[in-house]
Amino acid sequence: MQNPQEFLLLAPEILLASAGLLLLLVGTIGRGLGNRHSAVVALASLVLTAIDLYAVRRSVPGRLLIFNDTFVIDGFAIFWKSVVLIATALTILLSIRYMEEAGYRAAEYYALLLLASSGMLLMASGYTLLTIWIALETMALASYILAGYFKRHLRSNEAALKYFILGALSSAILLYGISLLYGATGTVQLNQLAEGVRRASAEGNLLVPLGWILLASGLFFKVAAVPFHIWAPDVYTGAPTPVTAYLAVASKTASFAILIRIFYEGLGTIYGDWKWIVAAVAAATMIWGNLAALTQDNVKRMLAYSSIAHAGYVLIGVVAASEIGLWSVIYYLLAYTFITMGAFGLVVLLERREYAGETCADYAGLAQRSPFLAAMMVIFLVALTGIPPTGGFFGKVYLFAAAVQAGWTWLAVVGVVTSAISLYYYFRIVVYMYQTDSTETAAVPLRAPALVAAIAICAVATLLLGLFPEPFIQMARSGLLAVGGM
Amino acid sequence: MNNIPILSIVCYVPLLGALILLFVSKDRPAFIRRFATGVALLDFLLSIPLWFAFDRSAAGTGNFQFRESAAWIESIGARYEFGIDGIALLLVLLTTLLGVLSFLSSWKAIATREKEYYVFLLLLQTGMLGVFMAMDFFLFYVFWEVMLVPMYFLIGIWGGPRKLYAAIKFFLYTLAGSVLMLLGILALYFYNAGGLPGWPGLGNALTFSILQFHEIGSQIPKDLQVWIFLALFVGFAIKVPMFPFHTWLPDAHVEAPTAGSVILAGVLLKMGTYGFVRFSLPILPEATKALLPWMAGLSIIGILYGAMVAMAQKDMKKLVAYSSVSHLGFVMLGLFALNGPGVNGAVLQMINHGLSTGALFLLVGIIYERRHTRMIADYGGLSAVMPVYATLFLIITMSSIGLPALNGFIGEATILVGAFNRVWWWAALAGLGIVLGAAYMLWMYQRVFFGPLTNQENQGLADLDWREILYLVPIVLLCFWIGLYPRPFFQILEEPVKYVVSKVGG
Repeated sequence: MQNPQEFLLLAPEILLASAGLLLLLVGTIGRGLGNRHSAVVALASLVLTAIDLYAVRRSVPGRLLIFNDTFVIDGFAIFWKSVVLIATALTILLSIRYMEEAGYRAAEYYALLLLASSGMLLMASGYTLLTIWIALETMALASYILAGYFKRHLRSNEAALKYFILGALSSAILLYGISLLYGATGTVQLNQLAEGVRRASAEGNLLVPLGWILLASGLFFKVAAVPFHIWAPDVYTGAPTPVTAYLAVASKTASFAILIRIFYEGLGTIYGDWKWIVAAVAAATMIWGNLAALTQDNVKRMLAYSSIAHAGYVLIGVVAASEIGLWSVIYYLLAYTFITMGAFGLVVLLERREYAGETCADYAGLAQRSPFLAAMMVIFLVALTGIPPTGGFFGKVYLFAAAVQAGWTWLAVVGVVTSAISLYYYFRIVVYMYQTDSTETAAVPLRAPALVAAIAICAVATLLLGLFPEPFIQMARSGLLAVGGM
Repeated sequence: MNNIPILSIVCYVPLLGALILLFVSKDRPAFIRRFATGVALLDFLLSIPLWFAFDRSAAGTGNFQFRESAAWIESIGARYEFGIDGIALLLVLLTTLLGVLSFLSSWKAIATREKEYYVFLLLLQTGMLGVFMAMDFFLFYVFWEVMLVPMYFLIGIWGGPRKLYAAIKFFLYTLAGSVLMLLGILALYFYNAGGLPGWPGLGNALTFSILQFHEIGSQIPKDLQVWIFLALFVGFAIKVPMFPFHTWLPDAHVEAPTAGSVILAGVLLKMGTYGFVRFSLPILPEATKALLPWMAGLSIIGILYGAMVAMAQKDMKKLVAYSSVSHLGFVMLGLFALNGPGVNGAVLQMINHGLSTGALFLLVGIIYERRHTRMIADYGGLSAVMPVYATLFLIITMSSIGLPALNGFIGEATILVGAFNRVWWWAALAGLGIVLGAAYMLWMYQRVFFGPLTNQENQGLADLDWREILYLVPIVLLCFWIGLYPRPFFQILEEPVKYVVSKVGG
């Protein structure tokens, strides 16, 4: 029997999952809860979870393993959980008007968001390969449904189906990798695994490389790294736009959390083996993500490729495997959360109905019609490119610094060159907004206050992260993981 | 003056002006341009006391004055450090002066979307001033990249027919250069502190302080110096632009609106040469000397190639653009003479080029506003209908080709002395560039202003109005001042140049 105290430390996850289940239940009774009410309930449960998370942080200042060492509470986990909560809250703000206009039942939608997020919270704390896998599946199953939430739309269906089939395949591969590692080492618990893989690979056990390569493939699929990215553009384009934002930000960040946890804590002892593979994947992801984005005309699809490219930048920090490398990943993903959410928020705002209004040409003349919206989009695009004074710039500097310091200069060179290339496609939108005249002259109606507020929050955060990074660095530092064994 | 953060004030007044402008209705263009010009003028007036309060005799690092220092990003050792030495002082004053003139020149030329235009122009001012004032390499880099964005918009919205192409080309080129430069900065940063794989570091505290980098320059091993030099070189050389990195320049210049060209030629290009004199030379002396033949070679090719291509141009603006490539080649050659006269002349020539090329773009802009063509062949005999214009144009032409009694002569002559002292035939080849310069400028002048007034459309051209005279006369006066009595300028440059030369070790 567990110490009941330990369940208190699991309260944020329990709370969020219960809120999701409650919404689901209430949603089925009669006409269910309305869109706005469901959103308010979801937001309120996120706030409560955040407060609870803070309480957990206060009671566990250091690092604590609970439930027979299957669940960890440390600064690293708390940090990712906070990012997930922020991203989920922003997603809900992005969704309210969108769901209203789409006319689907809303309560289930928010319930699924909460359930996916509770899976992400668990991911951040998972300390055995199996808890991590279960948490990952919780997130993934909810995400598949979310991607296909517009059930009467072919594109949404296509997205869900592709996501589900490829996702299930990758989960299977992941699980197979886990089983091989278990066969080689006799454990799935991360710190025992570290010792086990070291010993087994010293003995030349071939199950170890096979196991971790399969495991890594599954993880690369989740973060949409080349060559496991094929699903991302179709899913991102087909899914309802707030869901796309959610997948691009929350799902990706949480997946990076487990990727780092597994690589650093579970496989840290064989860093010398995996670093080259991760470096190659990072380079391929940056190059292919950016080159493929160059030719996209659909803004959602372009942002999908851009989010692939950004996974490549983050992998630089993972390869660097130093203190500064880890901070840089954390800082970058924090900045990326606000930047990407803001950019997708503008896409949501400009989408007139369902899928209309998402090509570059729909942005024509925006600077004349709605100068402040255009200016905010410029901030996000400048940040995505990595130009100061934005969080995107500072995050990239940090990543490249980590690479230079650790001797991965060639990766940093690939990173800076591809960043320069990315300017071309990001600024295509700027060209449309500022340098193309439009037949339409009316300002974009700002009839969704929550959405506009979310965009403004993201814009301010993007600038603050670039101009005054110090407090955020301190936050990122609190998320520092003991990089043992490397 | 000790307690007033005068540099920050000068730097951020334009930013403040831009923020205020955001709240002005765009339907009041007359107010907007007066207000924006007023802000620029105020900024210029605020920068004038710097000239008088600057202590010219302060030697070594003491020459960096009006220092400001504040914590910024402690974790990585980046600080908010401002300060200027004599070199930066001249460039700051050039920036604020050309700022006012370019604002004045835009009154009629810009007839659409005035509000955005002036906001971007003001933001650009802040970015450029920050570049010259920053004494922290990280801060420098932030300003260096920030100003790309407003410049992109200035070219891309108010530019000529190929503005989209020119704007993105400018942005891509300079961005690609700067990000590689960033890697060089990071290598320097880590070497000063914990070291890089293969190069054990010096173990100092993490810092981006430029003075600290000056301090450790001579301790950096030569192979690392060469790598860092090359990384910085890409960033600076694209900005200058040195041959063969110059291809963005003609496009950007030709398509940019007049004010954009003035600032581009007058100030932006100087950021590249400033980068060399502030960073590459003093921090990486060994690499500088090792790569000297390459640098001088590229400079000389730039001088001759730029001049010859300029000669072949049919478009006045393009001609002036290529002449910049040639003139900047002179500046680079002077810098890489690595001796007192060379560097002195180079810095002075940076100012001279800013004045005379800025003025040439203003002059071309004036005639373009009236006739909407810049083709030399469309003109001829203009001196008959526009005597004042012809006179001012002549003075500036003379200044540009280096006629004695005008500023260009002083700069070029000093550079040639420096180059001659280093390698005599460098000076000989560069001298050939002066001859070519005289040829293309005078030939253009002849074709535009002399001969019969054949084109009927040129008959009724109005001569300059008061506003146009107002923004040209200060430049003309300065050209004469530097040409006739350059002593105050050399006095300001003496100590900082001595410092740079001592660091690079002639």
